[in-house]
Amino acid sequence: MKFLPFIWRQLVRNRLRTALTAGAIALAVALVCLLLTMPAGMNAMLKNLASNTRIVVHNKAGITYQLPYSYIQKIRAMPGVVGAASWTWYGGAFEIEKGVTFPNFAVEPDAAGVVWQDYKIDPQQLESFRRHRNGALVGRGTLRTQHWKIGDQVALRGTAWPVDLSFEIVGEIPNDRSPVFWLQREYLDQALRAAGRPALDSLGIIWVRVDDASRVEPLMREIDDTFRNSEAQTASETEQSYFKNFFSMLQGFVTVILIVTGLVALCIVFIAANTASMAVRERLGEIAVLKALGFSRRLIFATLLAEAVLLSTLGGALGALTAFGLTQALHGASGWNPALGPLGGFVVSEAILVQGLFLALFVGMISGVVPAFGAARRSVAATLREVF
Amino acid sequence: MIEIRDVSRIYRRGADEVHALEHVSLHVDRGRFVALMGPSGSGKSTLLNLVAGLDRPSSGTVEVAGQRLNDLSEDELARFRARHVGFVFQFFNLIPVLDARSNVELPLLLTKLGKAECRARADMALQVVGLGERAHHKPAELSGGEQQRVAIARAIVSDPEIVVADEPTGDLDAKNAVEILGLLRDLCREFQKTVVMVTHDPRGETFVDEIHHLDKGVLQDSAPGKGAA
Repeated sequence: MKFLPFIWRQLVRNRLRTALTAGAIALAVALVCLLLTMPAGMNAMLKNLASNTRIVVHNKAGITYQLPYSYIQKIRAMPGVVGAASWTWYGGAFEIEKGVTFPNFAVEPDAAGVVWQDYKIDPQQLESFRRHRNGALVGRGTLRTQHWKIGDQVALRGTAWPVDLSFEIVGEIPNDRSPVFWLQREYLDQALRAAGRPALDSLGIIWVRVDDASRVEPLMREIDDTFRNSEAQTASETEQSYFKNFFSMLQGFVTVILIVTGLVALCIVFIAANTASMAVRERLGEIAVLKALGFSRRLIFATLLAEAVLLSTLGGALGALTAFGLTQALHGASGWNPALGPLGGFVVSEAILVQGLFLALFVGMISGVVPAFGAARRSVAATLREVF
Repeated sequence: MIEIRDVSRIYRRGADEVHALEHVSLHVDRGRFVALMGPSGSGKSTLLNLVAGLDRPSSGTVEVAGQRLNDLSEDELARFRARHVGFVFQFFNLIPVLDARSNVELPLLLTKLGKAECRARADMALQVVGLGERAHHKPAELSGGEQQRVAIARAIVSDPEIVVADEPTGDLDAKNAVEILGLLRDLCREFQKTVVMVTHDPRGETFVDEIHHLDKGVLQDSAPGKGAA
């Protein structure tokens, strides 16, 4: 028999306690590993959502402030701009009493196909959207949620603008996660005029498609410089940055979760330390006998610490591998189930695996060091007298 | 083999001083079977601890196997015990999760012997105590007498010069007690071990070479045992 089998047999002497402690450590490490995938996962999700040749231009005061509609013509004339389309928040509510809502925007049908070329909207449906004043393009996610299909008639009650509008769904935005509902800007404009309201001469944000990714930065500077002394200054940013800001609240949430996870890990340290203390307390007599046989204080300390570290590392490895397996399974499943798409980006990488194992090692060392030190420094003669 | 000169051991218990041993001198030759006897609190276990290198005297000198123990550090004392002393306790003190062979192998963890050599030595020690067939039994599967035999095998497996036994028959029935005492005597006779035993058991007198009586920390008298060669 050598030291490792000796330590192992000590570890499994109380199988239930060992299993429960290892399980608690495994759960905590799995949780930490999964949470560590969030920053990279969110970046991957943003990368997936955002194009690197699309710019968002909005009012410098904030996205809820409007911009003059004339800006879009000036931007379209700038070199490198392939197309520019506006989004104006209509705020139409569907079955408002039931709380059914989705983001709906007035857009220019001619520009939409150019600016969101990567959305791969069916050209025939896009043409139909152009031709039908009351046509609407609806995201696949909303179509599915509302059980709508192309050809359905839908009525929305205006909340941002004082007009209620009826639509015919003429096509879908083929993106499973897209919740948006696009309507023709001209349709909203005409409805406002008919209601005796001023013409629609403002917009919410402008989406600009650039011919080359390398021209994005200079173009953003040019746009903002152009409107620097205007009544409404602009702030341009990449689509990725726009979504990132949009999700910043979520990132704050992630930070909170990471802090809570840190506290959970600390709790696990206490649980593991308690287990180690109990294991040592139960075996004070045996430890005294080992010392009598010639085991030095250092060796006793190392043996007990190794026991705590082994338990923690095994639990940690189980947790890290479980998290790895789970994310790999989700990653694989997202290939054939588009609804799982965003989850596919949350992957436990090798670096995260290593971090999880180091966390487990750290938990083992911290939890084991105090009881092991206490047991090692006890006087052997005094312990033998106390115990026997 | 064992030379104790004018040894006193004083413990502090709060503000009080407990004089466990007072000016004890003792000489034991190699290969002798020695009993330390006396009532509870007489200091016999304290003396045994000093001989075994588990404790240090407050004054006087303890020399065992040619080494003066007074000056050794904790780690040096641990090394001394590993090399020179085997232990037998009243309640056997085997590790319950290990089988007999693994329990016997424990002191060999401190040596550089290979796995096969450790196993061979443990098996031989178990043969010596008559438990060669019970190597794979755990302590709970052995009788009290058998457990004490395993403990004796553990005490001799690293071939120490001295075996110290603290009440080795205290938890055994009469038949097993006599067998264990006989076994300890055989260790002296056949393997030239020096055995120092603390006991209350009057049967011990018929096996040992010498008996030292202690009372209130003082060595009262020394006499030859009935087992003297």
